[in-house]
Amino acid sequence: MATEGLAPPIAVTRTRPAWLESFAGQLLALLASFGIALLAGSLLIVAYGENPIDVYTSIFDASLGSADGIGYVLAIATPLIFAALAVSVCFKGGLFNIGVEGQYLVAMITATVAELNLDFLPGPLLVPAVLIAAMIGGMIWAAVPGILKVRTGAHEVVTTIMMNGIAISLVGWALNGPLHQNDAPEGAFVDLRTNVFPAKGLAGDLGAMFGVTPGAHLSWLLFLAIVAAIVVWFLIRRTRLGYEARAVGSSPGSARAGGVSIGATQLRLFLISGALAGLIGMQLILADRGYLPLNYVVGLGFTGILVAFLGQNNPIGIVFAAIVWAILSRGEVALQVSSQVPREFIIVLQGLLILTVVITYQIAKRRLAARQLQRAGLAGELEDSDAPDESAGPRGPEGSGSETFEPADEKRA
Amino acid sequence: MTIGAGAGGNGSPPLVVLDHITKRFPGVLANDEVDLELRAGEVHALIGENGAGKSTLMRVLYGMYPADGGRILVRGQEIKIGSPRDAIANGIGMVHQHFVLVDPFTVTENIILGEEGGELLDIDAAQQRIAELAESYAFRVDPGAVVEELSVGEEQRVEILKALYRGVEILILDEPTAVLTPSETKDLFGNLRKLREAGRTIVFISHKLDEVMEIADRITVLRRGKVVGETRPAETSKAKLAEMMVGRPVLFRLEKPTVQIGEPVLRVQDLTGEGKLNGVSFEVHAGEILGVAGVEGNGQRELAESLIGLRTPASGTIELQGAAIAGGAVFDIRNAGVGYIPEDRHEQGLVLNMSLWENAVLGRQDDVEFSGALGVLFIKKIKELAARLVRTFDIRTRSVDVAVSTLSGGNQQKLILARELETDPKLLIAAQPTRGLDVGAIEFVWKQILDQKAAGRGVLLISAELDEIYALSDRIVTLYEGKITGEFPPDAPPEQIGIGMLGRAPEEAA
Repeated sequence: MATEGLAPPIAVTRTRPAWLESFAGQLLALLASFGIALLAGSLLIVAYGENPIDVYTSIFDASLGSADGIGYVLAIATPLIFAALAVSVCFKGGLFNIGVEGQYLVAMITATVAELNLDFLPGPLLVPAVLIAAMIGGMIWAAVPGILKVRTGAHEVVTTIMMNGIAISLVGWALNGPLHQNDAPEGAFVDLRTNVFPAKGLAGDLGAMFGVTPGAHLSWLLFLAIVAAIVVWFLIRRTRLGYEARAVGSSPGSARAGGVSIGATQLRLFLISGALAGLIGMQLILADRGYLPLNYVVGLGFTGILVAFLGQNNPIGIVFAAIVWAILSRGEVALQVSSQVPREFIIVLQGLLILTVVITYQIAKRRLAARQLQRAGLAGELEDSDAPDESAGPRGPEGSGSETFEPADEKRA
Repeated sequence: MTIGAGAGGNGSPPLVVLDHITKRFPGVLANDEVDLELRAGEVHALIGENGAGKSTLMRVLYGMYPADGGRILVRGQEIKIGSPRDAIANGIGMVHQHFVLVDPFTVTENIILGEEGGELLDIDAAQQRIAELAESYAFRVDPGAVVEELSVGEEQRVEILKALYRGVEILILDEPTAVLTPSETKDLFGNLRKLREAGRTIVFISHKLDEVMEIADRITVLRRGKVVGETRPAETSKAKLAEMMVGRPVLFRLEKPTVQIGEPVLRVQDLTGEGKLNGVSFEVHAGEILGVAGVEGNGQRELAESLIGLRTPASGTIELQGAAIAGGAVFDIRNAGVGYIPEDRHEQGLVLNMSLWENAVLGRQDDVEFSGALGVLFIKKIKELAARLVRTFDIRTRSVDVAVSTLSGGNQQKLILARELETDPKLLIAAQPTRGLDVGAIEFVWKQILDQKAAGRGVLLISAELDEIYALSDRIVTLYEGKITGEFPPDAPPEQIGIGMLGRAPEEAA
């Protein structure tokens, strides 16, 4: 409120730089949300007649307490990073890709086909070929709802759920039919699965290097996931496509009026999302099993949505969110071994965490935005004749904070 | 038409007293210890720029916002108003700018909604009461009409009747004339005078000074959340009021530059589409500002959006310097040299949660200057552009990195103008370019538009504000129900243009 009508440009009151304030604010929000979630979880533990500190300690010991534990955690986090990135890329453009699940299932089929048919290639060529096949598989499955959305306006939530159903059946059919194991010894009873992939076509184990048990199946796919996160960050923040996607996601009208083709942008986001989704299943088939089993891990695509929420759709945030998620998942083992608290407690805790993170971030965001407004010295924008409607109340502080502070994209149209 | 007869007993005790009302929003002090007295039987104008706190103050009185400090006294009694229901119970009613009516219901059904008076409806009795009420204040409303078939002016009357039906004595009208044609405004003022004669009190929120001078008995001016003065029309002038509102002298008329009118830049023929445009034809020449006057909702939005490529017209041609652009992509039309100031800057102008620099390049992100072949943005270049725009258009901001949502409305509009004019468009489409802006910002925007004309470019100005049309246009056309209903010289009397805005040809009316 310092500026008069035509006063000289803003008197800047120097305090902490905005980015530091934003960073500190986020950190505080994060710590607060963890604290609240753990506290709420303690109540449940007490209700089971256990000591919260013991339970949390056992979860910690199982996950971060040893090299093996950390190895397990990182291996669990690897596919979650890809899944959450896939979800977040679409989210930026105002799209809700529920179909990550189906996209990675189909990608596992295409990757398997490449693995079993390109085995004449040397390893350094075979593995990239398999990864590319996986990404193409995911892209094909994402392209269908993408094209339907752009061409006909069919809502992506509906179409992607349909595509998930088809994908599940497709995997079943492939494993019973064309991809069914044909190198099993006569009369031997085996699980429904494909032939084992050639060893040169697998994602090499990293565990040995860090003293982690091979049982954790920690592979360099983890690094690929981290690289993917950085690439997605760059894409969203530093490229034209990312810029246009964010504009489309936050204000489709302004984006269109600015000459952005909404359809073309959204289709491209779907394809990128599908490619990322394609890499989710690689941890399972290239690092863990070495073949495609029927009892594949279900639900990674859906978990990806939750992890993306937890990471506030920020690629770097997603990496950490996936690790936190994996720590809790790994904690399940500890619970079963050492306490009366049922393993479902972990799911409750994961849910609580999402809730508290979303809420505390929202609060932190508002505060930061309000502070920004205050600094800008504006009395305006709060109440005026072009407010969208009376019940909307004050509008100013609802805009998002600084550049680094990701909005939860609540304004999707 | 100065102060009316029943200008409230000056000696009588005030009906409503707002005592040191303070209202804070996060980061903003919207009302700072505001004192206000309303007397029985007066029209009290509350004026100020956008963001001055006038609507907030009245929303506090109407129970929509709790006050952070201060007292409200009605008839000498201190009362707590926690909701609009409390306010109505205390005889205080408010009509908002955006009406809250149920479209498929009749006028009567709308008015009694929430006040049905029992489980069994007696529509006939209610209708009778409403007809009498309307009669007594000279409201022209058919209580049996269905609301969706009413004009904006009629809907406003229904809203006022709704408040009166509830026995309201103090009626707050938030910018009531913003949505009305000149003749509808005249009707409204007739109603308000009747209400005043009957001893009711009216709070008239506005920033239109002509109207305030005409209708108000007393005027309170707010600036930045504080009362800066109280006066009467007889004791003041438009210029003085404007100076009180803005805090500095304001020019009301800008000099229109004289420019040689050139070749047609834009030629529109028989433009038809979506039921909202029915064979619109006109031309805009280089060095000319063509004003399109009309009440909103008569095809203005569709016209602007068809020209920039957001809509594909069903038929008709649009030529930009002889090249057909109808149905083209927005991207191509912009590149062909069209700048666009949308009527809703939040909907079509800015991405609010993105930064100033990101908004500064919107529409030009494909230029080789701003992004490479691989689609990587040249952020340094874009920030340079943003800094240049901030400098040349005097956009008040802490840095180019802030989210545009933190800018004031005037500064947001400056950013859009700066961005659109940066590319030297041959044609500027300015739709409601000063909507929601305060006096100082309006002056700035007008000057920029006149500069475009001076530079020999064509400007299509679409505005619901007749003042604005007069201040800028070289030629005026009126748009009614998707048709051009008349063309007027810039000095045509407002009554004539008003007739065009209502769809009758001038000669018919004469």
